[in-house]
Amino acid sequence: MQILKSLRVKPWLPVEFEQQTSQATGLLNKEKAASTALHFLLAVITVIFFLFTVTFLQRTQSFDFQALSGEPWLPFTNAEILWQNSAYLLLASISIMLAKKFAERQSLSAIMISLAATTLFTLLFISGQIQVWLQLNQSGFYITTNPANSYYFLLTGVHALHIIGGILVFMRCILLFAVNRSYQQLVSRLKLCARYWHYLFFIWLFLFFLLTSDADTFKTIASICGF
Amino acid sequence: MTKMENVAIADQVDESSHPTTFMSKYIWSQDHKVIAVQYSITAIAVGLVALVLSGMMRLQLGFPNEFSFIDPSSYLQFVTMHGMIMVIYLLTALLLGGFGNYLIPLMIGARDMVFPFLNMLSYWIYLLSVLVLLASFFVSGGPTGAGWTLYPPQAILSGTPGSGAGILLMLISLAIFIVAFTMGGLNYVTTILQARTKGMTLMRMPLTLWGIFVATILGLLAFPALLVSAIMMIFDKVVGTSFFMPAILSLGQTLEHSGGSPILFQHLFWFFGHPEVYIVALPAFGMVSDVISVHARKNIFGYRMMVWAIIAIGGLSFVVWAHHMYVSGMNPYFGFFFATTTLIIAIPTALKVYNWLLTLWRGNIHLTVPMLFAIGFIFTFTHGGLTGLMLGNVIIDLPLSDTFFVVAHFHMVMGVSPIMVLFAAIYHWFPLLTGRFLNNKLGKFHFWGTFLGTYAIYLPMHYLGFLGVPRRYYAMGETDFIPESAQTLNAGITVSAIIVGLVQVVFIFNLIWSTFKGKKSGRNPWQATSLEWQTAQFPPGHGNWGKQLPQVYRWAYDYSVPKVKDDFIPQNVAPRDVEYLTDDKNNNQRDK
Repeated sequence: MQILKSLRVKPWLPVEFEQQTSQATGLLNKEKAASTALHFLLAVITVIFFLFTVTFLQRTQSFDFQALSGEPWLPFTNAEILWQNSAYLLLASISIMLAKKFAERQSLSAIMISLAATTLFTLLFISGQIQVWLQLNQSGFYITTNPANSYYFLLTGVHALHIIGGILVFMRCILLFAVNRSYQQLVSRLKLCARYWHYLFFIWLFLFFLLTSDADTFKTIASICGF
Repeated sequence: MTKMENVAIADQVDESSHPTTFMSKYIWSQDHKVIAVQYSITAIAVGLVALVLSGMMRLQLGFPNEFSFIDPSSYLQFVTMHGMIMVIYLLTALLLGGFGNYLIPLMIGARDMVFPFLNMLSYWIYLLSVLVLLASFFVSGGPTGAGWTLYPPQAILSGTPGSGAGILLMLISLAIFIVAFTMGGLNYVTTILQARTKGMTLMRMPLTLWGIFVATILGLLAFPALLVSAIMMIFDKVVGTSFFMPAILSLGQTLEHSGGSPILFQHLFWFFGHPEVYIVALPAFGMVSDVISVHARKNIFGYRMMVWAIIAIGGLSFVVWAHHMYVSGMNPYFGFFFATTTLIIAIPTALKVYNWLLTLWRGNIHLTVPMLFAIGFIFTFTHGGLTGLMLGNVIIDLPLSDTFFVVAHFHMVMGVSPIMVLFAAIYHWFPLLTGRFLNNKLGKFHFWGTFLGTYAIYLPMHYLGFLGVPRRYYAMGETDFIPESAQTLNAGITVSAIIVGLVQVVFIFNLIWSTFKGKKSGRNPWQATSLEWQTAQFPPGHGNWGKQLPQVYRWAYDYSVPKVKDDFIPQNVAPRDVEYLTDDKNNNQRDK
């Protein structure tokens, strides 16, 4: 690995200058820099959801935990609306990828359509999630009545906040394109936005599985994890 | 595929990009140096508040019930706010937001951070977090008095001081701080990885940068644990969930919480809390290495080992957290595991201490004020580290955990030691910032007052701990097993603490006076090799490097190289430009 090789260098020894300079070129690759920052941000987000998950799995084994699926009267035994929301987020993820492809071909109208589709599907996902919250409340599954409910509201809320943050960056990206009409910049920005969208889609799939599992599944996972 | 967007950072000098108005230059500045100063001033100001709070605590402990304005509740509030401010809002902010911001671009040969706007935003959000925290002094019930670890359930239950708005403002402030830190942290790691000038390989970076780099990664991965616990506790407090709250009877009333785990909070808190020790320590390790090397005119001993040790300490810091929780009760095998990892982390740490000593050995030691503080750090850190080894063992920790021994330990290792490095760093890099030295006589007075004074505070405190004097108590009352002499010792500690506090006033005076009236330093006054001293304009202006970026040809520790005319070779001096003592360049193998 390059990093391990770098760490083995003995910088005090006389070596040919060029041998040691290959890593640092004196050029700032803006796309690469943004990509590095995004990867670190995704690592931070991963830690956040990982820690929430650990606490959740521990709590699934407490006496007062009632899973949200597995019995006919539980809300996610039939999780149709969550599947629908997942489809929205998947479509948003696909359309942002298409927007990037169209930007590479500099096809303006196709770009506009795909950007609009991304915005639309993302907003549909958010509104779908809010709808689920309202339905849970209407059915008496309040945030405080059960730890499973608490975690459902908490985790989907934190996920939605990340999506909203993404939308703000996405809007800035569109605004900048409207001002300077640089296809090259649009492509590099959409590439990063797409990566973020795909990542949040996978986080959502993970949360979907986690929050809608039944008691037996939790028991199995918890025993594997040692809770 | 589109072409990669490369910007030749060497050619970025655009006169129109320099800020011209007062607001753009000093307030809404995107210049990393100005942001560093903003971070530093805010951190030092809030740190002084914490210093005053510690003085109030000491007044009560030294002279119990003599001061009517300190009651049990306010005592606990002083303890809590002192701890949180010092660890998060002073040390983390000053070391990474202050020194990180100032030194990263200059030391790697960049014009600024990669994302200057985000950098500016990071400071203003940090300031907001400080204001929210300080606002808790003015709300009904005052700030939280739950202890800096904010353990539930008591942190949010009535009966604990500041359990209303106080604890909420603390949690919100922490969440805001973490957002600010993440913005800054992403900038620091990206800048170090992507914006190094030509020739500045990772292994040519000064150890200061390695410390800041690894500490930032630790911060990015550890602060989320604090964020997660803060969010969940806010939910418990405001919404009534039971993430951390068990079924509980409080003041005769059965609360609606049930099934939550307070221990879970402790795990989350310390999963952040222990790496936090190294978030503070690693930049300090790096900076002290550079100060020692420069002022001993000698290359740092074992540079590669120092880098590896920083990385190893960073990695290990994530698997030792539960040694803070031995008294919570845990499976004995768990205790064994965490005691073992704690002892293992002492190996790379001890290696660093040996390397600092070996750097000093046969060096041309200049006992300047920065060097005095650096040497003082070696003492205090070794001292704090050794008591850490004791407390890392379950069997020793259990009887000592709730005593003043622990207070003495962590103040030596995490309070005094990083502060000694911060002072060393301030005295060392002050000329870079202002073009002037800090006053030498006042500096020496400051060093001896601080060094001897902190020993006068914390050495006896270890003894109090052995006697069994409990920490966190407002007053001892009638306690048979504690002799009366313990109170005399406590009074002595308080007098020392007040003296050390007053000595810091001298430092602040020196800082302000020397900024305007200090002796002019000239360029590179310490004759250092690292890039920050080699700027075209001194002190460095906006954009740092004038028309062309420097090119790096060597590591940062070419001091006292044999047969070379000067006793230092700056990193940006090409081999052909090195001046030798003899005419025959071929005799010298070093710089071929």
